[in-house]
Amino acid sequence: MSDAGALPSPSVGRFGLAAPLLLFVGSVALYVGVALWTGQTKMLEAEGVVGLLQRMVALGIVAIGQTFAILAGSIDLSVANLISVGAVLASYVMQGRPEMMLPAVALVIIVSAAVGVLNGALIAWLQVNAFIATLGVGLILQGLLSASFTNFAGSVPKEFQALAYGGWGGAPFSVIGLFVLAALASVVLGATKFGAHLYAVGGNVEGARLAGIRTDFVTIGAHVACSLTAGVTGLYLASRLRSGAPWVGRDGVYDLESIAVVVIGGTLLAGGRGGVWGTLAGVLLFASLDAAFNMLGVSAYPKLVLRGAIVVAAVAVYAVRSRDLVA
Amino acid sequence: MTDQPLALEMLNIVKTFPGVRALDDVSFGCARGEVHALCGENGAGKSTLIKVLGGIYPPDAGRIRLDGRDVSFSHPVAARRAGISIIHQELSLLPYRTVAENIYLGLEPSRFGALDRRKMRTDSARLLDRLGSAIAPDVAAGDLSIAHQQIVEIAKALALDAKILVMDEPTAALDGADASRLLDLVRRVSRQGVTIVYISHHLSEIQAVADRVTVLKDGRTVLTAPLAEAPTGRLVRAMVGRDLSDFYPPRSTVAPGSPTLVIRGGTNGRLRGVDLAVRAGEIVGVAGLEGSGKSALGRAIAGDEPFESGTMEIAGKVVAFSNPRSALEAGLGRVAEDRKRESLLMQQSVRDNAALSQRAFANLLRSPNAAPMSTAATDERLKQVDVRAANFDQEIRQLSGGNQQRVIIARLLALDPQVLVFSEPTRGVDVAAKAAIYRIMRDLAGRGRGILMISSDLPEIVGVSDRIVVMREGGVAGELPGGAGEEDVMALAVGHDDRAPQMRAQ
Amino acid sequence: MTVVLDDSKHASPAAAFARQINFAVVVLVVLYGAVGLLQPSYLEPAGAMNFLRRAAPLAILASGQVFVLVSGGFDLSVGSLVTITVIGGSMLTANDPSKTWWAIGVLYAIGLVVGLINGAIVAYLKTPSFIATLGTLLSVNGAAMMWCGGAPRGYLPDNFRMFGRFMFHDVPVVKVFPLAVLVLAAVAALAWWGLHGTVFGRRVFAVGDNPRAARLAGVKVETVRLGAFVISALSAVTAGVMLGGFGGVSVDVGLGLELQAIAACVVGGVQLMGGRGTVVGAVAGALTLTALFTLLTLLGLPQPLKETAQGLILIAAVAFGAWRRRRVG
Repeated sequence: MSDAGALPSPSVGRFGLAAPLLLFVGSVALYVGVALWTGQTKMLEAEGVVGLLQRMVALGIVAIGQTFAILAGSIDLSVANLISVGAVLASYVMQGRPEMMLPAVALVIIVSAAVGVLNGALIAWLQVNAFIATLGVGLILQGLLSASFTNFAGSVPKEFQALAYGGWGGAPFSVIGLFVLAALASVVLGATKFGAHLYAVGGNVEGARLAGIRTDFVTIGAHVACSLTAGVTGLYLASRLRSGAPWVGRDGVYDLESIAVVVIGGTLLAGGRGGVWGTLAGVLLFASLDAAFNMLGVSAYPKLVLRGAIVVAAVAVYAVRSRDLVA
Repeated sequence: MTDQPLALEMLNIVKTFPGVRALDDVSFGCARGEVHALCGENGAGKSTLIKVLGGIYPPDAGRIRLDGRDVSFSHPVAARRAGISIIHQELSLLPYRTVAENIYLGLEPSRFGALDRRKMRTDSARLLDRLGSAIAPDVAAGDLSIAHQQIVEIAKALALDAKILVMDEPTAALDGADASRLLDLVRRVSRQGVTIVYISHHLSEIQAVADRVTVLKDGRTVLTAPLAEAPTGRLVRAMVGRDLSDFYPPRSTVAPGSPTLVIRGGTNGRLRGVDLAVRAGEIVGVAGLEGSGKSALGRAIAGDEPFESGTMEIAGKVVAFSNPRSALEAGLGRVAEDRKRESLLMQQSVRDNAALSQRAFANLLRSPNAAPMSTAATDERLKQVDVRAANFDQEIRQLSGGNQQRVIIARLLALDPQVLVFSEPTRGVDVAAKAAIYRIMRDLAGRGRGILMISSDLPEIVGVSDRIVVMREGGVAGELPGGAGEEDVMALAVGHDDRAPQMRAQ
Repeated sequence: MTVVLDDSKHASPAAAFARQINFAVVVLVVLYGAVGLLQPSYLEPAGAMNFLRRAAPLAILASGQVFVLVSGGFDLSVGSLVTITVIGGSMLTANDPSKTWWAIGVLYAIGLVVGLINGAIVAYLKTPSFIATLGTLLSVNGAAMMWCGGAPRGYLPDNFRMFGRFMFHDVPVVKVFPLAVLVLAAVAALAWWGLHGTVFGRRVFAVGDNPRAARLAGVKVETVRLGAFVISALSAVTAGVMLGGFGGVSVDVGLGLELQAIAACVVGGVQLMGGRGTVVGAVAGALTLTALFTLLTLLGLPQPLKETAQGLILIAAVAFGAWRRRRVG
């Protein structure tokens, strides 16, 4: 029998808890540094900063949901396609009519929740590998969507566009909304029974089960949270693009990038530790990188290449410390 | 205490696994608030008994009674709800959550779904206070020392209102001072009315803390008595004495040759300054209790968790292994202790398992059945170690433990190593296979190999080894010649226990 | 602890294998039969050859993916490798047939590099292969776009396209024999030899079954992973060359192929956890999937719903496998 097991010391977590702060400082330094270096000081004024924050919204919303999924020890690769579904559904149902806004939003919410239940059920009850289950569901959604729509569908009324374009005292509604959502998510994770159970399931699912926690419901709940945020992101994109198209989700690479920012933000890929503020710091980093690339004049395609490399690097930085033989 | 039904009774428990009868009509009982020690060697059945009690396995026969009522558990959660709480050796705390969060896992006080953190904090503090501990409820569990983590585990059990607390080798990872504090805690908890089943190898601790003792051997109860009637000597004899069917092959009569393996000052995270030598033709047994470092020694020698300082020589040549492959290349091989996790390719065939190491070193593109690994050669090797299987094409998972172990030995032998390390060679292995494995080891020694046998099985150590090295707390406590008594080995393993004087003062 | 109660059981892995492979082949026969009912030309030699030709790229992809799956990982970058092969092929050859062989050489070199990168990230950076190869997917797709400046040239020289299009005529029995089928046969045979007929193949099984045990037994786990990913990448380039012959040059040519390849393997009995699978199963799975898609097309299913069907099949196949394992294990 091996020597009695000791728990991994979370004093490593000291560094982990400082990750959001480090990322925040690093992102700011990067942004400011490149702006100064390329002489684009305008980016440092209010308008530029607001623009940077606005860049965070789409990825930020869905990444908050992905945080829930990963914390619970799972993962969600269907979010990009669900975002497309949300955007298209919203603009199609609205057809530019303000009175259809509420029904459209309600529909998107319901569909998103249903997808979340489906993902969670496949993983928890049918024991399908989380990667495969969510990838498969994403495919199903994309196929259904592309079969029904080939281009922008319908349009979004001006009132709804306020979501993306409106503001209050200089701060865009969308950015306010992002931080409100983050605060809400943080409260759920830190101050509710569900949140406590979420961390438990991600940390040690057997231990959680032994403690009497219904781990399957927790998994489903995490996936519903994730899918709901994907739906909201879809609504936001519809508002910003003034209409929804079947490729908006894929184009934004929201699946991989949401995972990457969650992991960069200090949440363990295996689950059990982390939080939304770290995720937001990761989103800020990506937004700053994107802005920096733009300021440096890096064109679209090289950016794509770099994106892939950054995503892998982000996860590798944390993974390389593990002693396990990973596959 | 006389007319009250016993808090816990396990009656005539039988539990069988394919190939072994782990529990054969085991019975014991505890009164409320009693500290009941459970001892026995490795493989005596203690952990199986605890798993039955905890609802992890249903018993094949027998009954469990709590406060006089028959109970049966379909699931570990049911056992917990009935008030049975098990603290395993591998602590199950969530390292990144606070002490309070861990204690109240699954029982979080809440109002409409919102956590009542204040209540959690005050209730945790109260529980910890009951245990005489000043651990802060807001500290992350993983930041605590192991001793403190155990206290949190006990608090967790109390939060569940456990009536029966099972502690499996709780002092294994603790040093002297922490261990005696834990024993104080055990007594304190039992005085609060919790019945404690205390599993331990450390007979001095048992003397210090238990009210009654049960000894298991080979899946049977061989002794149940109040402490006064079970002094250490009697316990040791009960644990160890058996029909000495001499299935141990006769020891070597030839003087051993020159040293094939020499370690000087071997040190790493778990070992300090180990000096060890194995000569050609001899079997050196390594004994020691939980936490003595004997398993770490095996891993270090074989390059799995290597030494960080010190030197190692094989046949006079200085070597240093940073991984298992280099050890194998240098002629040193190991049979690991946890077959399932570390040796077996469960879904592959017996032959594929046997040929694995050869295939690790053979040329990439060769046929897997080329000359030294041919089906005929592999089959021959398997027969030499007496593997019994319907056919060698079947998945190795279908073989009994003893046969599986022999396949692993065949795998190692195919590389013809000079030094072989066997870690717990007969764990989970039936009698016939045990005898066969001893024969193989003796045979190898007879042909000039150096054998290091690391084992928790005292009779095996004493029966097979030409020389015995006893480890304690990461270092070598002493050496004994082959044929030494088991009590002598135990004595060295337990050592000048500095916990003992403190206990006698109670 | 001493009574021996039973002996080793008698079922051999051959029987279990037979049970599994029968399933995929049975499904294939049923599906192909249905296809033949709807379109009798498929039952003729020429029709069957055409079917095999169209199934060849997926079967080739599956033959490579099986190495990665058996080693316990996933290779999600193969679709993007197909894309970059087709786009790169058109850029390198610039419609000049004399450059074809050189271009194919360069493309294989690219595949080799990508495979090594994938393997290195997984083996040395300890990153889960899912994430690693998803990242490579992004980068390779991006690189493909960069290469053609966003506007893929529509032409590939004829001798490049022959791998997908060329047919041997006046062949006994079958009359026409597509070069693609010959390539498929060669790749499948090579893969079969690699996985089942070499020491390397056994190491792949060992690493997928129990990487720790493999390491302790002396296997260089990192090298095995590198090899598996390189094989998968090279098979992707091969499939890409073939697909270049099928249709025009576009950025979508490789879209979703990695998931199809994984689904094909799973349908053919390859285990997602590693340690179990066969090349025959992978190829049979690919043929089965192609038959299914053919059937769906004949039934009038629009193209995008193919994705939906893929998703459903992938989930169903994995769920089925998980259910079987729960029953047995």
